Amino acid sequence: MSALRLVVPRMPPSYVAWKMGRRFASGGGDGVRLMVGDREVVGYGINGRPIYFDRSDFPFPAIRYRTVTPEVCALREKELGDWKTLSIEDKKQLYRHSFCQTFAEFQYFSPDWKLALGLPLWLLAIACGITVFMKTTVYKYTPDTLEEDRQSAQLRRMIHLQMNPVTGVSSQWCYNTNKWK
Amino acid sequence: MLRITARSLASAMRSTMIPTSSRVAAVRSLHGTEESAEEFDKRYEKYFSREGIDAWEIRKGMNDLLGMDLVPSPKIIEAGLRASRRVNDIALAIRWLEGCKDKCGDQKATLYPYLLEKITPTLQELGVPTLEELGYDKPELALKSVYDA
Repeated sequence: MSALRLVVPRMPPSYVAWKMGRRFASGGGDGVRLMVGDREVVGYGINGRPIYFDRSDFPFPAIRYRTVTPEVCALREKELGDWKTLSIEDKKQLYRHSFCQTFAEFQYFSPDWKLALGLPLWLLAIACGITVFMKTTVYKYTPDTLEEDRQSAQLRRMIHLQMNPVTGVSSQWCYNTNKWK
Repeated sequence: MLRITARSLASAMRSTMIPTSSRVAAVRSLHGTEESAEEFDKRYEKYFSREGIDAWEIRKGMNDLLGMDLVPSPKIIEAGLRASRRVNDIALAIRWLEGCKDKCGDQKATLYPYLLEKITPTLQELGVPTLEELGYDKPELALKSVYDA
């Protein structure tokens, strides 16, 4: 699915910021409306805001993609007449005036998947590298208490003290036969 | 005094409550009726062929239809094309064709030729080009990445 593409204004940013600030300060303003500029608002759009995007399940956005120019006005005049007199080029130009991309274009399989697959694989590789580094250098010397006989001695003492006799380790030990249940 | 007030209040309540409840029941029972495919087609055909329909309403109808899980029938497509002609917007007609083709999904090979065959007379009458004539069945232009702009 294509990304939501906001229309970029052709006005100097400082002017837009000043005007937006002024509008917001005066209350009830809308910066998006200012960004639309000279574009024709031709529909309600997906949420009532004049933004442009290409989507197959909502193909008619609220505004036309391009601003109104004298050439387009002449073409629109011509469009009022018989459409058979329009050349293919005229029709294409009218289409591109209203819309940015055709269905075939915005549904074309893009190579974005390479980044989407590659980036996680890189992160995984880095994580594996960190693990190897930690195992070999940082955790090389373990405490004495992690040795086998120390641990079994601790377990023996836990059973001796009958620790956690209902659900825990002593509940698994049979004190009559001195064996694991 | 209180009893009289209460009685008049109760009768007033009754007269306002009863029509409301019957209205609620009438609205609720609407959920039970299911629209048949023919009725659906007819409804949208009527919607698009209404006199004085404007581009806002056409866009609304087309957006609604293309958001549904169905392929518009040739009659609806034709009505949509004629509506675009009435508001003098050929871009709308071309986009509508594209949308209807897209709705065929993975059945494009079988469904799209059928649709095209049915609507060809209207296309020729109005002078709307098919997507193949425009070359819009394949990507024509590439879009510059927003990061390069």
